[in-house]
Amino acid sequence: MKNSFFTTSRSRRLGVIAIATTAALALAGCSGGGDSDGPTTLKFSYLWSGPEAKVLETIIDDFNESQDDIVVKGVSSPDQQKQLTSMSSSNGSFDISDNFGENVGSWAAKGVLAPLDEYIESESIDLDDFAPAALEQMKHDGQTYALPIAVHSFQLLYNKTLLDKAGVEPPTTMDELADAVEKLTVTDDAGKISQLGIGDAKTLTTLTTMGFAFGGSWSDKNGPTPTDPGNIEAVDWWQKNVVDLVGADNLADFKAGEGQYLSAEDSFFSGKVAMIIDGEWRAASASEVAPELDWGVTSIPAASPKLENSTQVTSSTLFIPTNSKHKDEAAEFLSYLLSPEVMEKFSLTLGNLPARTSLLDSDAYSDLPNFEVWADALTSPNAQSLASAPYSAEYATDLDNAFDDVVRGKSKAEKALDYVTTRTKSYTK
Amino acid sequence: MSMLTRRRPEARSTRRREGSKRPRSTRRSFWIGVAFASPFIVGFFGLFAYPILASGYYSFTDFNLFQSPDWVGLDNYEQMANDDVFWKSLANTLVLAVMGVPLTIAIALGGAHLLNTPIKGQPLYRAVIYLPSIIPIVVGGYLWRWLLNTQYGFVNYFLSWFGISGPSWLQEPDWTKPAIVLVVLWTVGGTMIIYLAALKDVPHELYEAASIDGAGPWRRFLNVTWPTVSPVTLFQVIVCLIAYLQIFTEPYVLAQERLNNISSGPDQSMLTYAMYLYQNAFVYLKMGYASAMAWVLFIVTLIVTLVVLASSKRWVHYGSK
Repeated sequence: MKNSFFTTSRSRRLGVIAIATTAALALAGCSGGGDSDGPTTLKFSYLWSGPEAKVLETIIDDFNESQDDIVVKGVSSPDQQKQLTSMSSSNGSFDISDNFGENVGSWAAKGVLAPLDEYIESESIDLDDFAPAALEQMKHDGQTYALPIAVHSFQLLYNKTLLDKAGVEPPTTMDELADAVEKLTVTDDAGKISQLGIGDAKTLTTLTTMGFAFGGSWSDKNGPTPTDPGNIEAVDWWQKNVVDLVGADNLADFKAGEGQYLSAEDSFFSGKVAMIIDGEWRAASASEVAPELDWGVTSIPAASPKLENSTQVTSSTLFIPTNSKHKDEAAEFLSYLLSPEVMEKFSLTLGNLPARTSLLDSDAYSDLPNFEVWADALTSPNAQSLASAPYSAEYATDLDNAFDDVVRGKSKAEKALDYVTTRTKSYTK
Repeated sequence: MSMLTRRRPEARSTRRREGSKRPRSTRRSFWIGVAFASPFIVGFFGLFAYPILASGYYSFTDFNLFQSPDWVGLDNYEQMANDDVFWKSLANTLVLAVMGVPLTIAIALGGAHLLNTPIKGQPLYRAVIYLPSIIPIVVGGYLWRWLLNTQYGFVNYFLSWFGISGPSWLQEPDWTKPAIVLVVLWTVGGTMIIYLAALKDVPHELYEAASIDGAGPWRRFLNVTWPTVSPVTLFQVIVCLIAYLQIFTEPYVLAQERLNNISSGPDQSMLTYAMYLYQNAFVYLKMGYASAMAWVLFIVTLIVTLVVLASSKRWVHYGSK
């Protein structure tokens, strides 16, 4: 035994070390924090980064100073995958987080989100003050699972210089819009587009918004309704007045050369697109990357008088995951974030609309150019939002592909939307 | 080690009483061995065996990651047969493989010949060729998105020197696949290096003998080089095929329109099998369907690999032994 490399004591020791190392490796990452006495520590993991994260941190500091029972720790974590996996385990890594309105239904249906109704009552949050179109997305099976901190609406932006040059007034009806698009679209000698009448920031949001503007609806109680007559009319209108006007190939060519969204090379900011349907965040980025641009914004033209001021509303929401260990405290912090002063401070940073309608008249927003047009649309009876249902993600992908077919001239509106109907059969219920 | 297994008489008697077959010291060294192998054992069962078996089970269920799975039998597999996006993604992937694999092999073998020529700065060229393989694929992908832009990109600017007006690489459905293959080929250096090693192994006498027999460079390649490196080619073809069947990062990055959005390129031309699998798993949260897709991919890969292996009898030479 003397000469053996593995003397008993050493071999035992090495064995123990090997097992311990393995165990440590296997257990790494499974640790969780806990606290028994003193203030409760809340983890607030948010998708925001940059300027929004900065203002959130000052809000968190204010909250921590305002009371002694809760200490909120903020973490900027823009990875949605991470957010999901954290919510799938019994021990989550955060107590409160944010996402977008369209995911609420899907997550609520899977039991990931804690229902907020009792907290709304105990914290006396006045739901009547919130934009109705946004609140609709927060509900699943009659219960509220998230609350919006900021909301967004879509409107028609136009380049004043280009409109003046072409002698075009901002359109108010769909016929006027068609006329304006034609006058504002310029092709060069080779037939290539040098200026486009109307662009789309994203085909999906532009055409779903147009659907609402034509009195269409993308879903009802029984599920998706892609072939609603208003939707077909809207997509058909777009195909005839925007795509066919220049030719699908020509349009695809133009889009291929477009610069990064919201950068200085963004086609609307660089003056290559005369009009665009997009959200209020444009106001903040315009003053940053295109300060010279003379632009205006108006309501989306009405297809008929009763459809005036139609728009699509989307929202940034806050929620508490079911696996949070400190739901009561999280609700208290949630209520603080939604209080008028805090919401104002937050939404102002990136020029977002506040979710509380009582804040819309606040002077704080008066520095943002053309803010009132987007703000007004929020309370319009024709402001709608896409349903937040278990199938929302699949539906959005299929609609996006159908719109892509239409814009590429591969398919007519009705045929493309019919195809979406056949796809809806396999959707998550 | 012999010290450990030497048996002492008194120890043997106690062992008998316990009814065990092996000496205690052997048993001890067995457990020590297990302890040392435990990182692998835990890793293998925890990270490979269990997930593989679990995905097999999930493929017969309706599972959304959060609630317990519901047994649905063969529903997921049936749904796959009727899902035209599934077929589209499979077709896209096969087209990429059919385009990419021969090109990779040809360019790697050709490049290895060039890198094998004794010229000044040879190590530098080898390093430069291998360099892109070190860059993370996502970074490379974003770089290529910019290079391939119709208006601002360098690729079309370069083509314009020769009077060619380049296509809209990432917007025309017909051009997206060549674009993906181009980005994958950017990292062909790794394959080339393996070929380079294989070329070094070709016996010099054979070339000399062939030259004496009057064989030109092309004949020498066909009759000497190609047969000698054919086992390496078989390996490269299989590895490359599997990589193409699972391709994800390059098309995902090239197709992406905005952060956290799902994009599959114009006319879904960049939607590969792995991308659709990922969409189902992590965006639609259809884990059951995604697991079924994973198993189908496994079977497809297995079949394709077996076909290549079966064909190899005709074209792979393992020397004169």
